[in-house]
Amino acid sequence: MLAYFVAMATYAGFFMILAQGLNLQWGMTGMVNFGVAGFYAIGAYSGALLSTRVGITPELAIALAGAIAGVAGLGVSLLTVRLREDYFAIVTLGFGEIVRLFALNEDWLTEGPKGLRIPVRPFDFGLGNTAYSLVYLGVVALVVLVIYAICERIRTGPYGRTLRAIREDDVVAGVLGKYVLRFRVQIFVLGSVFMGIAGALFAHYIQNISPDTFMPMIAIFIWMSVIVGGYGNNKGLLLGAGIVMLILEGSRFLGDFTSIVTSQQLSSIRIILIGVILMAVLRFKPRGLIPEPKFVSEFEKAS
Amino acid sequence: MRILISRRRVVTGSTAAVLGAAFIPRFASASDPINIGSLTPNTGGGAPYGGNMAAAIKRTVDQINAAGGVLNRQIKLTQEDGETNPETATRAADKLINVNQVMAILGTWASSVTLGIMPKCQSANVIQMCVSSSSDIPLRDTKGLVFNFQVLNPVWGRALGQLALEHGYKRFKLMALNNDFTKSILDGFVDAVGAGRLLEKPFYYNANQASYKSEVSHLLAGTPDAVFIPGYVTDFTAIYKDIYRSGYKGRVITVTFAASGPFKAAVGDAAEGILHGYPIPPLDSPAYKQYLREAGLEDNGQIQHPYGTLCRDQVSVLALAIQKAGSTDADKVKKAIFDVSTGPGKKTVYNVLDGLKALRAGEEINYSGAGSPVEFDSRRQTVDRDVQLYEIKGGKDVILSTRKG
Repeated sequence: MLAYFVAMATYAGFFMILAQGLNLQWGMTGMVNFGVAGFYAIGAYSGALLSTRVGITPELAIALAGAIAGVAGLGVSLLTVRLREDYFAIVTLGFGEIVRLFALNEDWLTEGPKGLRIPVRPFDFGLGNTAYSLVYLGVVALVVLVIYAICERIRTGPYGRTLRAIREDDVVAGVLGKYVLRFRVQIFVLGSVFMGIAGALFAHYIQNISPDTFMPMIAIFIWMSVIVGGYGNNKGLLLGAGIVMLILEGSRFLGDFTSIVTSQQLSSIRIILIGVILMAVLRFKPRGLIPEPKFVSEFEKAS
Repeated sequence: MRILISRRRVVTGSTAAVLGAAFIPRFASASDPINIGSLTPNTGGGAPYGGNMAAAIKRTVDQINAAGGVLNRQIKLTQEDGETNPETATRAADKLINVNQVMAILGTWASSVTLGIMPKCQSANVIQMCVSSSSDIPLRDTKGLVFNFQVLNPVWGRALGQLALEHGYKRFKLMALNNDFTKSILDGFVDAVGAGRLLEKPFYYNANQASYKSEVSHLLAGTPDAVFIPGYVTDFTAIYKDIYRSGYKGRVITVTFAASGPFKAAVGDAAEGILHGYPIPPLDSPAYKQYLREAGLEDNGQIQHPYGTLCRDQVSVLALAIQKAGSTDADKVKKAIFDVSTGPGKKTVYNVLDGLKALRAGEEINYSGAGSPVEFDSRRQTVDRDVQLYEIKGGKDVILSTRKG
């Protein structure tokens, strides 16, 4: 039983890293990135290929995978950074699909639909299975915390203020002398790096990735995490990612407790439930469960 | 302090109570059950089959339990939805293995799901029984724990290729859906017709497109005698519409579930002349007839539930193997699976209850199933499903021949 919770916590950890990346891009800067699955896939495949084909140690491969995803983010953002909201969303969604189709068709590189097997294990100190899964969870938790610290630092500092200004009204920010495009590109790259790291950690964890693992649905789950948890602030995301994982996986347990519905009916009910819960949260808490605290200027407080 | 009881609070409170009640742990049931899990495609691409696969597994388990179980223990079945998606299926497998402590996972259909959960199952020493047809399955099964009840694609592809040759076709073009399943069918087809008869190397198309005009014009360039297009029903329907509109006069060959009911309903008379085929349950077998009765179906001579039948066999073979091995230890059971299903000179049984009775009487048995005679080769692949070949005439599938596996 413990092993199951450890595994679910690890999956939730990957979602948390992705959600923090998305929050940097959308929650703080207003860039509507629907291509989350694409950067996740780039991180997963580059990490996997680096450690299996090129022979780099897996720990290093994970870090490099983040860098490669960052480079991809640089390319995407430079091409699209002038686009607003909806258009940006469509282009990034298209990018996510391009990555998936590339992985599917270029099987000389990615093994295509067969899936890529990853027998190497990072952080392997020769421990048994149970201890290893705890170690992995520990590493993922550490990465989540480090990224949290980075994001908090950004959020509370002047850099974060500029990002929020760009999010609210980029014309005003530009008029005030902020080089809007540069901030957007920088933050998009940083977010992509985080997503790439999450992908590489994920690939080395499940040890078998294929293109249909990276369907656009993943982007929807991460968006749910950010929206349900509360965009803009980082505590909310962690809660949101945890809740999404709880709904996705917790709903499986309904089958263990009732035999009123057949297995097939239960599957459909689960998927409906996920949608219903999202709607319910948005109805009662539109800004998320932990909304972004309003920033009050020092002058206002004093007066 | 007065607490205001507003309508909103009552609704919130009662919803929470109901949901909370759903998670109260159930008290442990009878002594030491045997835990098995099923991971069928209830939603997603395999959804047309997932329902009857899950139902067949549950029915057979209930049958066994009603007759006293195996080794005097009841079987506790946990059923999960693989969603035809390896990402979620891996988490479902995690739950089955770590929470429900299953010794075997049955019913995976998509090759990507079977392969996707393999690392977890192998490291937990959990037996897998699948109906996936990718050639990679035996390659990645290093512990000998994966038993495939569906023939590997090359057999299937070869049968279709031979059919094409018998019809006298000499020039072929091949196009397939880009996934693991179809790639190995193409290999079998090419094996049978000979690479020299292909006008060009086979190429692949992607799923979920509304139109395949450019793929189809590429396919028909050079006017081949026949084209072979293995895919799923949604993409095949779209492709066939484009082929028909182009006025192609040659023969179209595909796999049977691509040309199934929904396809025929969508294209009507235009389906005339399509050749197709697939591995079939042994229609004359007593086991198949018993399955039809168990599932409440009529014996109309048509293939019904090609995967549900195989799932009934999976549960039956597993139960018989556990009884034979005298334990649920995976290493013993995996050997026993061969003992109860494969090889000559033993008493043939067509259902699990007869098999259990015979084993308890000390007899050697050979289980012959509703989906196939269930004989495994050394790589744990089913070897002898028949492949039945059809032509669509007048809106119906007319049987041309049945090739022995």
